[in-house]
Amino acid sequence: MGEKTIYQQLKEEGFSRRDFMKFCGLLSGMMGLEFVVPAQALGALAGPDPSLLVAEALKSKPRLPLIWLELQDCAGCTEAISRSQSPSLVNLVLDKISVDYQETLMAAAGFQAEQARLDTMKKYHGQYVLVVEGSPSTGENGVFCTIGGRSNLDLLREAAEGAAAIIATGNCAAFGGIPKAKPNPTGARGVSEIITGKPIVNIPGCPAIPEVTTGTIAHFLVMGELPKTDSLRRPLTFYGHTIHDHCLRRPFYDAGKFAGGFDDDGARAGYCLYKLGCKGPTTYNACASLKWEQGLSYPVQSGHPCLGCSEPDFWDGGGFYQGQSAPLDRPTSAVIGTVAGVGTALGIAMAGANHLKKRNAGKRTTPSGKGSPE
Amino acid sequence: MEWTDILRFFRGPFFSISLIIFVGGMAYRLFRIVLLGWPRDRVESRGSKAVGVLRTYLKGLVFFPFIPWVRRTFARNSLTYIAGGLFHLSLFLVIFFATPHVLVWKSLLGFGWPTLPSPVVDGLSTIGIISLLLLLVNRLTHPVLKLITRSPVWLNWTLVFLPFVTGYAMTHRLLFRYEALFSLHMITVDILLIWIPLGRIPHFLFYFFSRTIHGAQAGKRAVTP
Repeated sequence: MGEKTIYQQLKEEGFSRRDFMKFCGLLSGMMGLEFVVPAQALGALAGPDPSLLVAEALKSKPRLPLIWLELQDCAGCTEAISRSQSPSLVNLVLDKISVDYQETLMAAAGFQAEQARLDTMKKYHGQYVLVVEGSPSTGENGVFCTIGGRSNLDLLREAAEGAAAIIATGNCAAFGGIPKAKPNPTGARGVSEIITGKPIVNIPGCPAIPEVTTGTIAHFLVMGELPKTDSLRRPLTFYGHTIHDHCLRRPFYDAGKFAGGFDDDGARAGYCLYKLGCKGPTTYNACASLKWEQGLSYPVQSGHPCLGCSEPDFWDGGGFYQGQSAPLDRPTSAVIGTVAGVGTALGIAMAGANHLKKRNAGKRTTPSGKGSPE
Repeated sequence: MEWTDILRFFRGPFFSISLIIFVGGMAYRLFRIVLLGWPRDRVESRGSKAVGVLRTYLKGLVFFPFIPWVRRTFARNSLTYIAGGLFHLSLFLVIFFATPHVLVWKSLLGFGWPTLPSPVVDGLSTIGIISLLLLLVNRLTHPVLKLITRSPVWLNWTLVFLPFVTGYAMTHRLLFRYEALFSLHMITVDILLIWIPLGRIPHFLFYFFSRTIHGAQAGKRAVTP
């Protein structure tokens, strides 16, 4: 390929060598490289230092073409990425390294935009990364979500066909998210339920943590493959631990000190939010370690229980403020009343039958003159 | 199938079904037994029934547990007495005063109450588990108990022991992932709920009936229950 490498491109834009190495260091940290097996794809190029590994990749590889599709979404994941206060990382990855088509961010509109997508798909067939935000709608052949007059299913399948890898960002694309919440009128599903035979990685979250999305893109760029994932296809580097595992309120949980309300003394003292419905113990995500806004804070630190937004069907997983131990379904009082009534009636009927049996037995024994009903 | 899906099923629909079976079954058992009837008591009243009832509860639940050695049962069977007593106490306190359980009660009844500190609950469940194990060993080694113990008793023991152990493992995150342990806890609790009306565990309710009746009879005859 006669294309410029990423390093050449960055150099032309005024990046010094120092800037470049700093960027590589940050990028390798963002990818969580210390946790992954050194890239076999890069063979001899791979150095022991993760940032050198990244540097080699950026020096030798052209920019990664990327198409970002938005289906049934709120553009929240895009918002999170475009507003994240880490320009040196997230924006650099997206501006300098990739993104050819992104409906919300691109200047082009209408047919012009669609043409850009088609051009990229044609030019980089089999090489580009497809990022999907929002859930595909499958109901009525996908008419609930159309772009440029075409159903979202069509667009997704078309774009997936030539993709080297697919990254489903946000809970909607990963697991169906909010559109899939009961009663799921549009037949929303996760991308991996529709597209098969392609490497797919899920970056669930509502929104997905920007650094996790870009970190995964960077991983693909540097390593030439998607990161190792758990059974729900989430990168282990970021989804290997629960919020609870790394929670800064964890000592209060262990000591049994809980906030009973959002403004009681416990809440002011920073106690555990378990009683307020925190889903941290069953939620796998990097919020508690990476945090948001350059490590400023994350929901639990800010005083709000974890909603479990990186888990499948989090919207239907019981009330957000209902304790996690509480049942998800409970019979209504009418049902309980009816059941108790039926049980009572059966008990009475059985007791009556017993009485009758006893009395009959008594009658049978009386004529002989030997025994009495008692 | 993911553990989260299993958990959702056993925290959701299956829990509902178990609860329905539990309520219906208990209503059936209760009326079936209460209406068995008992012979008319034609004895002339020599004392107050209410006083008899009060005395029996005070003695059985308040005084004797703290001075058990005054009873012959204790002298003959101290292990059963102590382990059994501790087991019942820990079971009661854990079910009604552990934070996660109070959240369950709150969601079912609409109101909650203060909880015990987690380390206390932890200690109590440890006591409960040890007591249950001691009782099991006792039952396995005691020559007479061995003879009179049939399969429902073993089943009873197992079904009560499992929620205890899975709950303890869940709080301490032992061996498996939290969702897996949570699922196992819910599965065992749901099965226990279904089993309760079928086995001997309804004594948690019937106990109060028999104590009241015996206390009233003793009170009427002016004898010490």
